[in-house]
Parts: sequence; C-alpha cells; structure tokens
Amino acid sequence: MLKVQYIVGLCVLLAAVFGAHAQDTPRSSDEIARLIESAEPGSTVVVPEGVYEGSLRIEKAIVLEGKGLVTIDGLGKGSVVEIAVGDVEFRGFTIKNSGSTVDQEPAGIRAFQGPVIIEHNRLEDVYFGIDLRPAGDSIIRYNTVIGKELKLGRRGDGIRLWWSHNTIVEDNTIDAVRDMVFWYSEDLSVARNVVTNSRYGLHFMYSHNTTLRDNELTSNSVGIYLMYSNNIHLVGNSIINNRGTSGYGIGLKDCDAITVENNALLANRVGMYIDNSPSSVDSFGIIKNNKVAFNEIGMLSTPITHNNVITHNSFLENEEQVTVHGRGQLMLNEFSADGVGNFWSDYSGFDQDNDGVGDFPHEPRSLFRSLLARQPNLRIFLHSPAQQAIELTARAFPELSPMPIFVDHSPLARPPELDLLVSSHQTSRLPMVGFAAGLLLISVISGWLIARQPCLPVLSDSDLSQRVFV
Amino acid sequence: MIKASHVTKKFGNVVAVDDLSFELGKAESIALWGSNGAGKTTLIRSLLGIFPSTGTVSIHGIDVRKHGKRARSFVGYVPQELAFHDDAKLGSSIMFFANLRKVSHKGAAVALAKVGLQGHEKKRLRDLSGGMKQRLALAIALIADPPIIVLDEPTSNLDASGRGEVIDTLCQLRDDGKTLLFASHRPDEVLSLAGRVLVMEKGKLIKDITPSELWPTESRIQTMRLYLSMGTEETAATVLRDAGHAVNLNGNGLCVSVPRNRKAEPVSVLAKAEIEVRDFEILEEVQGDHS
Amino acid sequence: MTTLPIETSTESTMIESGSHLSGVSSVIAFARREFRDAISSRWFILYTVAFTVLAVAVSFMSLAGSGSHGFAGFSRTTAGLLNLIMLVVPLMALIAGAGSIAGERERGTLLYLLAQPISRVELLLGKYIGLAIALCCSMCIGFGLSAGVLAWRVGGVGISAFVMLVIFTCGLALAMLSVGMLLSVMSRRSGVATGLGLFAWLILVFLSDLGLMAGTILFKLRVQEVFAIGVMNPLQAFKMAVIVNMNASLDVLGPVGMYASQTFGGALPWILALVLGVWTAVPLLIALVIFSKRGSV
Repeated sequence: MLKVQYIVGLCVLLAAVFGAHAQDTPRSSDEIARLIESAEPGSTVVVPEGVYEGSLRIEKAIVLEGKGLVTIDGLGKGSVVEIAVGDVEFRGFTIKNSGSTVDQEPAGIRAFQGPVIIEHNRLEDVYFGIDLRPAGDSIIRYNTVIGKELKLGRRGDGIRLWWSHNTIVEDNTIDAVRDMVFWYSEDLSVARNVVTNSRYGLHFMYSHNTTLRDNELTSNSVGIYLMYSNNIHLVGNSIINNRGTSGYGIGLKDCDAITVENNALLANRVGMYIDNSPSSVDSFGIIKNNKVAFNEIGMLSTPITHNNVITHNSFLENEEQVTVHGRGQLMLNEFSADGVGNFWSDYSGFDQDNDGVGDFPHEPRSLFRSLLARQPNLRIFLHSPAQQAIELTARAFPELSPMPIFVDHSPLARPPELDLLVSSHQTSRLPMVGFAAGLLLISVISGWLIARQPCLPVLSDSDLSQRVFV
Repeated sequence: MIKASHVTKKFGNVVAVDDLSFELGKAESIALWGSNGAGKTTLIRSLLGIFPSTGTVSIHGIDVRKHGKRARSFVGYVPQELAFHDDAKLGSSIMFFANLRKVSHKGAAVALAKVGLQGHEKKRLRDLSGGMKQRLALAIALIADPPIIVLDEPTSNLDASGRGEVIDTLCQLRDDGKTLLFASHRPDEVLSLAGRVLVMEKGKLIKDITPSELWPTESRIQTMRLYLSMGTEETAATVLRDAGHAVNLNGNGLCVSVPRNRKAEPVSVLAKAEIEVRDFEILEEVQGDHS
Repeated sequence: MTTLPIETSTESTMIESGSHLSGVSSVIAFARREFRDAISSRWFILYTVAFTVLAVAVSFMSLAGSGSHGFAGFSRTTAGLLNLIMLVVPLMALIAGAGSIAGERERGTLLYLLAQPISRVELLLGKYIGLAIALCCSMCIGFGLSAGVLAWRVGGVGISAFVMLVIFTCGLALAMLSVGMLLSVMSRRSGVATGLGLFAWLILVFLSDLGLMAGTILFKLRVQEVFAIGVMNPLQAFKMAVIVNMNASLDVLGPVGMYASQTFGGALPWILALVLGVWTAVPLLIALVIFSKRGSV
C-alpha cells in the first residue's frame, strides 16, 4: 500500500517535472482559473510556465503573474482574457489568437471595471488588443500589441479606452492594428507609445484634458487625430511618414484649446490638418516650435479656421508649405506674435540687420496653387515643367499674382532649435552605392564595348602580293 | 550585268530619266556622256535602287526594285566626291563599310593597300586630299571585290594628277575583268576607259555608240574652255552642238572638245551666232587611245 | 552581253553569301557607328555634362535641408529630378533624333550609305538603336553620380523607386527619340528637323499641358477626361509612372491621380509604361514606313 502510494507520488513528481518542460503540450486555461479560484483575493498567483488554451475570465481582485513564460491561446474564439472586476494586475503574459468576428469585437485583454494594471504583456494575432470598457484609473504600460493580418478598415483597435478616466497609457508598442483610440476618457497620460503601420496612431474622440507626450507614430495612415476633444497638449511627439488616404501627421477636428508644441512632423502627406479648430469663438490654438518638414503639404486648413497662433515653427521643404482646402485665406490666424514668426525654407527675403528676423514679411503667392484651389483636378500637373512655366509667368507679370493665403510679418532667419528623439532611418548604403557604381560601370563598359574599334590588321607580304593599283 | 529597260524617273513634273533602256555586259565598260542635268546621276541612282523609279533594272539578274539590297551587293559605287563623316578616321570608315559588306578587316586593309592608302588609317577624312578621298571611295567600292563598279563623275573634283591616278586604277580594273559603268563629261576619260558611250540629253538616251564614233577624229582631241558673256552659255552650247561639237556645260564653264586642227571652229561658229567669246583656254591634250 | 544566269556566273559564291546578308549585322554596324559618332559629338558631350551636373546639383540641394533625417531624401530628390528630366531628356532625345537622318541627308552621306548593300529599314533601325544606347548611357552617368550622392548622404532609401526612375527615364528618352527620328525623315534639311524637334519639345513639355490646364478650367473637365487626355502626353505618363512607383499611388496628384489609382490599381504602372511604349513604337514605325516608301535622299 505504502509502495503503491510511493509509486503514484513518484509518477506525479515525474509528470510535474516533465510537464514543466513539455511546453509543447498545451494545457487548458481552466488550470489558471482553478489557480485563481484557490487563491485569496489580493494575493499574487504565479502561473506555471506553459501554453494554455482557451479563454480566461478573471472575477477576483488578484495579481496574476506570467513572468513572460506563459502563453494563453484563445484558439480563435472570442476574447482571450476578460477582467470582470477591479484591482486586478495582469502582468507578463503572451496572449494570442483571439476571435475576429466584427460584432463581438473579441479582444486580447478586456477589462470591464477599473482600476486594473495591465503591463508587460505581449498580444499577438488579436482582433482588439487591450480594451477598457470602462475601466478608469487604470495603468496600461509596456505592452506590445500586434494585430491580425486584415485589411486596414477591418482590423480592431490596438488599445481602446472607453469612458476610462485618469488612465495611464505609456510605453506600449502597437503594430498593424486599426487605431489606438480614446473615447470619452479624460485626464489621461499618454506617453512614449510607439504605433506603426496602423490606421490612426492616436485617436481621440470626445476625450478632454490630456497630454500626449513623446509618442512615436510612424507609417500609419494618420499620426494623431483629435476629434471633438478639448484642452489637449501634444508635446514632443515624432510623427513620421504617415501617408494614408488622408495622411495627416496631426489632424484636429473641432477641438478647442489645443497646444501643439515641440513635435516633429516629417514626411507625412499632410504635416498638420486643421479642420475648424478651435471651434469656439473665444478659444485659441497654439502651434509652437514644431518642425514641419518634407511633407507634401506642411499645413492644410479649412477656410473657416481661425484663432490659431502659429509661431517658432520650422516649415522646411514641404512640397506645399501652407495651404487651404478650396479657396480662402488664413488671415484670421496669427503666423507671428510679439515680433516672432516661423522659419520658412522658401522665404525669399533676407535679414540684413541681423536681428534674426527677415526684413520683409513672408507672403507666399503661387499662381499654380491658387489655380489648384479653383480647380483641384489641376494637381495632376504638379511636378511638371508646365507648373514651373505658370509660376514664372506670375513672377514676370505681378498683376497675375494671386493674394497670399497668409502673412508672416516676422519670418525667422534661422530655424529654431528643436530637441527631438527622431530615430534615424538609415538603411544600408551598400545597395545604393552598388547601384550607383553599376550605372556608371554599365555606361562606361557598354560605351567602351560599342565604341571600341579594332586596328586594321597589318598586312603581310603575301597579302600585298595581290595586284596594287596605284 | 546590268539590264535596264524603260527606266523613267520623275521629280514632280520634271522627267529626269525618260524611258531609258540599255544593257551592260560582263567586263564591258560603258560611259554615260552628257551635260549636267542630262540625267546621268539620276540614272545611276535609279540603277542602284537608291530611289524608286519605273521600268525595270536588274543587276546580275536580280531585280533591283525587289531585292535592292542583294543587287547592290554586286556593285561598288564611287560617288562624285566621297561624302562621308568628316570627323571619322580613314581606318574606322573603311572598317565600317567592311562590316556593312561582311568583309573581314583584313579585306579592308587589302582594299586600302590596293589603292595605296595604307599607313593613312589614323587620318581624318577632312584632312585627306581630293585624290585620296576618291581613292578611299574606290577602296570602299572594292572591299567586297564586286564584279561591277559604278562611278558617278569620279574625277570631276580632282586636279590633273589625281585624275590620272584614278583613271589608271580604273583601266586596271577594267583589264581585270570588272564591269564598269561611269558618268563623265571628259572626253579623255571616255576615250581611255569606255568601250561604249551612252549619250544622254534631257533624260533620254540619244546615242549608244563607241567613243571613236562620237569623236571621229581619233588621233588627237583637245578640250577648249570658252569664256562667254554671262547668260549666253546655254545658247552657245546649243549652237555648238548643232554644229556637231561635243559640248559640256557645267559649273566650270563651257568646254568643247575639238580635233586639234580645228580649234578655231567653235569660236567662229559662235561668232556667226553673234555670241561673244571673251577668251578661251586650251586644256591638256589627251591620247585618243590610252592603252 | 546579256545578264548571265546566276549558276554559270563566276560570282556565284558571291550570290550565295549575298543571299545570307542578314540585316542584323548591318543594323549593328550602323548602331555602333551612330553610337561612336554620338559620343564624340559636341552636343552629346554638352548634354551629358549638363544633365550630370544638374542631376548631382539637384540631389545635393534637395538633401541640403534634410540633416540627419535620412528619410524623405529620396522622394525630394526625385521630385527635383523630375522637373530636370522632363526638361532636358526630351530636348536631348528629340534633337538627337531630329538630326539623325536629316543631317546625313544634308551632308549627302545618306545617298552614299544607301548605295551600299543595305536596306533603308536597317539604316534607320541601326541609327535608332545606336542613338538610344548613347542616350541611355549618357543618362546612366548622370543618374549614377546622383545615386552616389544619395548613397553618401542618406544611404539606401528608395533604391527600388530610383531603379524605376532610371528605367522610365530611359523609356521616355526612347519615346522622344522615336518622335525625333520621325521628324527627321520628314525633313529635307537638318535645320528644319531641329526646328521641328524644338517645336515638338515645346508642345510636349509646355503647350499641351498648359492647353489641358486651360481646358480643365474652362470646360470643367471631369477627372476621367483630364486623366485620359493628360496621360496621352508621354511626359505626363512618365511623371505619373515615377510617382506611382515611388508612392504606390497617385494620390499626390489630387483627384485625378486618385481616380487613376482607384480605377486601374496595380495595372496603372503598366498602363503608363504602355503609353511610353506606344510613343516609342508608333513614331518609329511611321518613320520606317515614310523613309522606305518616299525614297527621298
């Protein structure tokens, strides 16, 4: 009897030892549920290393630790992890393979009550990533979310806050989702998140009083899109290469009291799009000390846009620096304040008195642009010699010159300094060097081969023994 | 070797060659004789199929109009003056034509040697003398050793010594059995080279005779250049032709070939027609029969 | 003596070899001569130097402001290069083509060439190929140095788009060369041909676009109409092809571009390449027909 017990005990031990190492053999997520069941509320449960299959629902205030060694596989059905109560900490898991039916919006991790802490998790192949609905006072940080391979509009959101005030969303890395979106959520801290290859990097809907700091938004359709959200500070974000259909680096729609400061808006289709912001009569927008460079359009506004103070920015080499949707002017916005305007790479004046401010106002006039405003179809002629011809004509005949769409009375002579963490997009030089060398070699070698001319052979006496006529 | 029947070439309303037929046998040498504008050059170009004409031309039994490229491969052509890229070097030029005719570069060198131009390969064509250019043209014509050589006034731009060289070469070619067809307005050339003369006037073939028939006094013939008042050359040429003289009117003036003992005749004929002869000049004498 | 039957002729071997006079080697001979003439001619060297200097200068200038941010360097360089290419390359190719046949005709060399055992088609094709290779080589030098500047300043960004830029520029040159040769076979004097070439350049580069712009404004042309008319201009087709290869869509070019991208999708680059192909083939074919049929020297 004792012997039998002994053997059974040994088997259990062996099974435990082997099971721990047999990570290929998935277990049921019910095992985690049982662990939670047996734990005291508020205690910490460390889930043993392994792959667990099936969804998990947490209904007890508890700290769940995966230590980075636990994978929960949702098997493609519904949400993977649901947190139904507050005061849950969920940390160090890999979550994957949620369902993808549109109507149920299955998520990697969904919390229904705050506060929760969701950190250091990795979510792969999930429809929605982390979804708080609602779960205020929560912390979501150091998570990685990689969406399902679906078409842009069909994907779910990487992180979604729904009516979750006072939440911290920091240091998350999101790739290939729809949006990182904030609905009706106020007083947030959104910082140092990286969003790539998604639709809207950061999307605010009716969410007020928040600072968005030092986020990196690269290669999305739109970098940051704020709609109907007031009193938001955008500081130090780098917003690069967002070139979707709308392709805005920053889009502002009907937002009051927005401050846009120290951001880098580079190589987007439109650096900054302002649609009726601020919308209230007494509100002001402040756009200060940003670097707006290499975008197709630096800044695009709807014609009614007013009350923005735009100073200390560098508008560098945008294909179009500032333009208005349709016909209109931006005269109700200030492009200079207290004798300081912006730096314009296309400023044609000079700074003879060396006070750092150009001696003439910057009043860009482009006949082609004003034609574009009249007839957008003409944009097909962009980058053509005909466009240049039109501009030259306007320069030769000033009476043809259109009204400027804005005036910067104090254009800066030098671009303001801007400290930014813009990751360098250096790629290997080698292919380009090879290509350059290849082109040169091809032309020289083929040129030599074709143009090469053999010398006429020297004739021997026997050749010359033929009859010579002269 | 060349058979032309009813060749007609019109430029607009102007008939340059008018229903002309002749045959040229193997190893025969025929001269086209006639003043400028008589249609010699046009006839040669039509024979080579350079531009379309009506009637039929066959070279070596090949219809020029249908297989112009193949027919031309039996012909070496020497133009009035070698018109070729002046910047090109002599060597590269002849190699280009050797390539066109699929002849080895050795063949090109041999052809150059034949005309005595070896050693000049690095010279640019613009630096060549007229005689050298014509010899180069000959070399190009001879590259593929074609049985027929067609020459369009090959000596008209040459001085006396250049002319002599070319004529000597042509005589040797004829003796080698090449078939020659050449346009000329110099009796000395015709007399020394041609077995037959086709006399052309206004695009028509008016006589097909031997040179000695054209110039009956076989012994010695002299060419006189007459200097006339402006605008009277045409009339003078007609008057002299009516009087039975061989006349050539070209850019160099009015030249008339006369037996040595009748030099005064053209002048008196013109005097009768009330055409003033301001001066005349005797060009060099030639032997009636060169060989 | 009548014409001998071929069999008994002593030159029968000549005829055998003569019947094998394939056109290819004549075409190659003409192409090589044309290439050699082109690269040693003053206009060609001048254009090559001008194009190279401008291309390198444009590359430098467009990268001047980019500082440490390597991205965007390429698209800006391309945008700058586009204008340069659309001005210089058609001019170069049209003038080169216009001078080709008319120049030979004027100097009298055409006649001499035609007296050789070659066909007119071989002559024209050979000249076309020789000039085409010369033009492409010339542009490869400019692009090569420009790519060198890019590699030095920004690394390998946009290399595939740059490759396409080179390819389409060569396509544009071939099309313009075709047009130039067509003008050349129609002209008696090289001065006339050059004049026609300049006129064609003016039309293709400026007048047609300006006309279409005016039409778009005056008649409120719809997007599909603007696209259909615009794309017929080989320069616009070239420009769109470069942009579509760079941005994967033509949205940059406004509503008309969006219409084109959405309507034709992935086929758009091929359609644009086809436009250039038609502009290459059709004028060249017409030139061949005119040159062979008219028989003018």
